Amino acid sequence: MVLEATMICLDNSEWMRNGDYSPNRFQAQCDAVNLICGAKTQSNPENTVGVMTMAGKGVRVLVTPTSDLGKILACMHGLEIGGESNLTAAIQVAQLALKHRQNKRQQQRIIVFVGSPIKYDKKILESLGKKLKKNNVALDIVDFGESDDGKPEKLESMVSAVNNSDSSHIVHIPPGQNALSDVLISTPIFTGEEGGSGFAAAAAAAAATAGSMGGFDFGVDPNVDPELALALRVSMEEERARQEAAAKKAAEEASTKEKGDAGASGSTDAIMTEADKGAQDDEAALLQQALAMSMDDAKPMSDISTTDPDLALALQMSVEAAKEDSGSQSDMNKVLGDQSFVSSILSSLPGVDPNDPSVKSLLDSLQPEQEKKEDKSDKSEEK
Amino acid sequence: MASAASSTSQRGQVDLVDFVDWSGVECLNQSGSHSIANALKQGYRDDDGLHLASDSDEQLLIYIPFTQMIKLHSIVIKGPEEEGPKTVKLFSNKEHMGFSNVGDYPPSDTVVLSDEQLKGQPVILKYVKFQNVRSLTIFVEDNQGGDDVTTVHKIALFGTTVDTTNMKDLKKIEDH
Repeated sequence: MVLEATMICLDNSEWMRNGDYSPNRFQAQCDAVNLICGAKTQSNPENTVGVMTMAGKGVRVLVTPTSDLGKILACMHGLEIGGESNLTAAIQVAQLALKHRQNKRQQQRIIVFVGSPIKYDKKILESLGKKLKKNNVALDIVDFGESDDGKPEKLESMVSAVNNSDSSHIVHIPPGQNALSDVLISTPIFTGEEGGSGFAAAAAAAAATAGSMGGFDFGVDPNVDPELALALRVSMEEERARQEAAAKKAAEEASTKEKGDAGASGSTDAIMTEADKGAQDDEAALLQQALAMSMDDAKPMSDISTTDPDLALALQMSVEAAKEDSGSQSDMNKVLGDQSFVSSILSSLPGVDPNDPSVKSLLDSLQPEQEKKEDKSDKSEEK
Repeated sequence: MASAASSTSQRGQVDLVDFVDWSGVECLNQSGSHSIANALKQGYRDDDGLHLASDSDEQLLIYIPFTQMIKLHSIVIKGPEEEGPKTVKLFSNKEHMGFSNVGDYPPSDTVVLSDEQLKGQPVILKYVKFQNVRSLTIFVEDNQGGDDVTTVHKIALFGTTVDTTNMKDLKKIEDH
């Protein structure tokens, strides 16, 4: 969020026709400039950016530092490639343009794209750097394109001459797969110092990694669209809360159902003792599922994958019992109340021995429950 | 005449450090570790361990805005014998000057510091030129020894405020 006035120096010399950066060096440069302008104006609305050329018709200021992004992008239309770039003159002109900025509180910064070979020697560049430092101007250099001997070193020495507490940077970008702008996004030139990285992070997520929304919860950047991101987050939490409430309710329903529907519970109890050893939770879960589904309106039982057909039968009965009125429920109870029927079912169950004392006691307890149930249902029928 | 720099040495002149607008103080070509606060701020400026030093070359451009209009009477610049400033140009009410336009306007006053003045003797300025000063720009052109680095231990400004109805003072009189 540093308040800054930036001058961007474009290299539009003959060397920019080369296609080692796709589609050609000049286009790659323009894309990078567009991104930088956007980043600067976004990080602080009072930031201003100006653009100038170093070659072509000569060192010209295309647009003086302004915060109007449209103007900046428009001025780069129809630029001609040609000539040789004059680095020293360009930096001096940039310095002058910054000196006459309207808001004197803005920090001064020059960003230079150097794609052509440098004909000046190190000393001149260093003294130029010192002059910039003296006037408190920061310098960022993007070294791409031609890389004859000495160019990187010259530029490095220049940046170290200007550098005042890490405000100036240099980036070397060799030609390759990635676009110039993509590589630039991750550099300190783009991200600035700590602040202002929100936009950079967003641009990185959006542009650099083609399509993948790495890092953002809902595929929406909170910086780009905060309202949408907030809405998504809130609805996610609501859904989670609702599901928890539903599960809780289902658990409560399950427990009440087990008490109320003795017949169903009897068979399920038997099955429970069979599959006992800690697997009771599974049964309860399945029962809950069944009840939840019954609440959702009779879905086919095939959804519940269960290896035990008797369990499936029991569950089905419990579901139907939940739906039907008390009359039919009592019928069901009567059916199950029939001792012989129950014992026949139990005998068919694997692992359950009808002569097992626990099972017998269960059956015994079942009988008085059934009688109670029948009394209740009779009473309700009388009503 | 002028004794050693005490705050009200010269007939009602006051140390103007209280009227400096610190948010706007700037110094071009200062070294990162030796900044203008070391020379201007109360406490720091009297500490001989802290000083202001120049960076790329020997020139310094110090911009000091004030919170109200002042009349500047005299200035004290303390520095070491060899690296202390020599030629100092003062500009009144010129905002945001740069090294490139120091030659564009004539300075309100020019001081060539002698050894005694470097030890703390106040330099009387052309009072008539500093009657309604909102901001002061101090341009240190070169130093005594001609080195690359100029060192300043203390800068103190003396004068009076134009707006003399200081409300606090007014209250005191009324309390009488």
